[in-house]
Amino acid sequence: MSWKTFTRIFKLGITNFWRNRWLSLAATLVMTLTLLIISIFAMMTLVISKTTDSIRDKMDITVYFNDSATVDQIVSFQHQIAARTDVKEVRYISKEEALVSFKNQQAGKKVADLIDPNENPLPRSLEVKANQAESLDQIATFLGQETFTPMVHVISYQENRVVINRLIGFTTFLKKVGWLFSGVFVLISILVILNTIRLTILTRKNEIEIMRLVGANDNFIKVPFIIEGLLYGIIATIISTMFLKIGMQIITPMMNQYLGMDFSNQMTNFFSGNFLSIFGMEILVGIAIGIGCSLISIRKYLKV
Amino acid sequence: MIEIAGATKQYNTVKALDNINLKIARGEFVSIVGPSGAGKSTLIKMLTCEEKPTTGKILIADRNIAKLKSEELPYYRRKVGVVFQDFKLLPQKTVYENVAFALEVCDATDEEIKDRVPKILDLVGMLKKKDNLPTELSGGERQRVSIARALVHSPKILIADEPTGNLDPINSWEIIDLLLRINRQGTVVILATHNKEIVDRIKKRVLLMKGGKLISDRIKAGYCI
Ligand SMILES: Nc1ncnc2c1ncn2[C@@H]1O[C@H](COP(=O)(O)OP(=O)(O)OP(=O)(O)O)[C@@H](O)[C@H]1O
Ligand SMILES: [Mg+2]
Repeated sequence: MSWKTFTRIFKLGITNFWRNRWLSLAATLVMTLTLLIISIFAMMTLVISKTTDSIRDKMDITVYFNDSATVDQIVSFQHQIAARTDVKEVRYISKEEALVSFKNQQAGKKVADLIDPNENPLPRSLEVKANQAESLDQIATFLGQETFTPMVHVISYQENRVVINRLIGFTTFLKKVGWLFSGVFVLISILVILNTIRLTILTRKNEIEIMRLVGANDNFIKVPFIIEGLLYGIIATIISTMFLKIGMQIITPMMNQYLGMDFSNQMTNFFSGNFLSIFGMEILVGIAIGIGCSLISIRKYLKV
Repeated sequence: MIEIAGATKQYNTVKALDNINLKIARGEFVSIVGPSGAGKSTLIKMLTCEEKPTTGKILIADRNIAKLKSEELPYYRRKVGVVFQDFKLLPQKTVYENVAFALEVCDATDEEIKDRVPKILDLVGMLKKKDNLPTELSGGERQRVSIARALVHSPKILIADEPTGNLDPINSWEIIDLLLRINRQGTVVILATHNKEIVDRIKKRVLLMKGGKLISDRIKAGYCI
């Protein structure tokens, strides 16, 4: 195909888009909405799973031992825990280490001097990290077994489990809702765009018939509709990315106020750090829907 | 140049063409006449490859166009010009643009278009109105533009299905005169018409059809049903 032919076909596509501008506008807006919804859910899941990851990383179960427990008991216990597949790491914290980290804490500084290292009241402990937050529950049950109770003073997980479970539940819920909404809107935009292209094919029926009769190259008949679909995708991506950027600028101060922390940097960093993947995802989805619908309509309504 | 052999076209229950056999030589002017529903338009659609025969062959320059693949169709269409009763011009394009459009969509260069379009418009006597829209033209003028568009690829065959059907007698005669002129330059012209006076005055070959059958084929005949 020559450059001249290409520009002529491209011009035909743009002319179509413009001639049916209200239809095109409707199709583009539905597509914009779809892309927005997909990106908002994708971003929310990304932010929350990042937060969960960092909390998860901090989240562990700490088993504090009675001073009566022997070193042998503790070592064998540690081996048993480490042998579990859902456990990522088990760390032994001695009385000395416990004292050091206690001294490093703000609240501990004042009382730390009162503690005699030889009469250290801080318990020895095992810090257990899980591979997945979801398995913390099983691990806790394992640790809470009766065989271990004589040497165990307290298991700290109990205090966190509600928060952990809520967070995990929320992420799972959000993912499900995200998939559902995205799916529904992808479906709606496919239906709207299929119909839009069908209508533009109908409004150009005479022109297509004439093109056929004068022996038009097939590209002239088909490609303009593909360009039209492509335009919906590209314009919708640009608009929805703009909305996303503006939305972030509105939401960030609100978040700062609500949480009493300055999030501006993190949000901007997050957005610019993930801009390419968000934009890339949008344009891929947009173009796939646009071109896919054009091809289907062409096959259905442009029979030779 | 054109040979139709045993062509039959069945539409559901209707036999629109019934075993048509026919040869047309280079440079001929052929009129097809017959009552409404005789199969004139169907025969023309066989030649323009808008429809394929149910059985039989349509040979153009020894090639059976009933067997054309869809990729080959555009190239065939450029070798035959087609003209219709309702002109089929694009209303939002000017006279010049309507004719140029036929070249544009066939990958012609800008130079070819600039060179060819004015010449063709001059041939049909529409150069002066090249910047008018079809709505600003009379029926006869619109048909001239549509003939210009049909001729723009320099086809070997020009096919016209009732080109004068919407025109008054004077305009009709001018269009027929134009077709005769085109024929004298060597193009085969095939004309389907109802108009008795025109056929009588052309004094060229006449094919009479009725109920899908070819009833008579006479040189220099008049119109008679
Ligand atoms: N697409 C179609 N489907 C079914 N039947 C058709 C179709 N096209 C034509 N026919 C039938 O084929 C027969 C021949 O039609 P055709 O249009 O060739 O007649 P015609 O000679 O051109 O008539 P007119 O002078 O009125 O234009 C008619 O009986 C018509 O009803
Ligand atoms: Mg007819």
